[in-house]
Amino acid sequence: MDINRKLIAAHTKGDIENIARLYAQAASQVDEIPDKVAYYLTHAYVFALEAGITEAEDYRKTLKSLGREE
Amino acid sequence: MDVSAVKKPINTAKGLPNEFYIDHEVFELEKEKIFFAGWTAITFGKEVSNIGDAKPLELVGIPLLVVRGEDKNIRVFQNTCRHRGMILVQEKKNIKGAIRCPYHSWCYSTKGELKTTPHVGGPGQNTHPDMDRTALGLVSIRSHVWRDVVFVNISGTAEPFEIVNKDLMKRWAEFEQPIYHGGADSSFKLEIHCNWKLAVENYCESYHLPWVHPGLNSYSRLEDHYNIEKPGEYSGQGSLVYNPLLSSDGERFDDFPGLSEHWNKAAEYIALAPNVLLGVHRDHAFAIILEPLSNSKTREHIEIYYASSKMAESGFSDLRRKNTMMWKEVFEEDIFVVEGMQRGRHGRYFDGGKFSPVMEGPTHLFHRWVADRMS
Repeated sequence: MDINRKLIAAHTKGDIENIARLYAQAASQVDEIPDKVAYYLTHAYVFALEAGITEAEDYRKTLKSLGREE
Repeated sequence: MDVSAVKKPINTAKGLPNEFYIDHEVFELEKEKIFFAGWTAITFGKEVSNIGDAKPLELVGIPLLVVRGEDKNIRVFQNTCRHRGMILVQEKKNIKGAIRCPYHSWCYSTKGELKTTPHVGGPGQNTHPDMDRTALGLVSIRSHVWRDVVFVNISGTAEPFEIVNKDLMKRWAEFEQPIYHGGADSSFKLEIHCNWKLAVENYCESYHLPWVHPGLNSYSRLEDHYNIEKPGEYSGQGSLVYNPLLSSDGERFDDFPGLSEHWNKAAEYIALAPNVLLGVHRDHAFAIILEPLSNSKTREHIEIYYASSKMAESGFSDLRRKNTMMWKEVFEEDIFVVEGMQRGRHGRYFDGGKFSPVMEGPTHLFHRWVADRMS
């Protein structure tokens, strides 16, 4: 199953931890395009924050290094 | 509104005029002058017992969010996103990390801090020079928890809760100790077709007991009761013949430790204006929050608490149920009178009524409390 389908399935289930990790995975697959990385990682960060998982801080740091987050 | 007759000494006073019970405009005015200006009860701490528990509710139309933070403290916020005014939390839930607005996903911590504003500066750009997150946290509502009741002061201008209620807190200082909610069997709600004030007025006087609660009259006669009157603060009634409930095999609830002899037989029932009815006994306590749904509809939230965690365990469930049923029966017996008084206030020639100078001091004090705030 591709990431898009997995994301839709995770959204349907309301599995926000999985949503966060799938968006992070999507970001890792576009690492040569900063705007796309920031876009996907923003979503990963939002859902990681909501889920309260430790990866949230890692995502924030990466976004900050890209000048996209405080 | 002329309330001068309400403010007279009880011997010559009249009760609040009809419009205080049936007029929508008066109810609207009460929101500002009573429910928002002072300390008003909204829910119970037990409703958010775990870290991250969040309960949305409304206080006369204002959306509020009660949250227990990681520091275990209860906080109350306006349940409205600072971005587009969306309701943040729609139903009771546990917040694992952040409160995410379902509209554009602005995220807030359980302390109300704005944590991120996704795409606010364009796709993948979560910052913008004009977005000062420190100025955009959730609007915090002043709150205080006492006897597991969560109070809020919407206006933010009331004196601190402990100052406003210092006399009552001193009166019941012996009960200032942990209380344990009895669980699902110690909780019930009643929806009543009357103005919220009628529930208060009925609660704080004992005059009606022999007529409306004949079962109580057999062991708790009118002469065993006394008035509790603290002008401008609270009023109610006390009993001098409280007997703990016994199970069929003679078992009874633990007493609150360290109580003085006075409480062996005494029980007190106090209305803490505007909307909390409290009761204390040597072995249990209860709190009733009156939720005003409109000028003619009120929801009563009744919760019963015990003196030790053991009393909240399954071994005491039968006795707890018996106690809950006893109180439910008493409070249900009151429904026909408060609903009857509500209907009676559509009688255009009713002039507010006449108080018994001896028996209804507590009710008159509550009328004066309302009149003072509304005039």
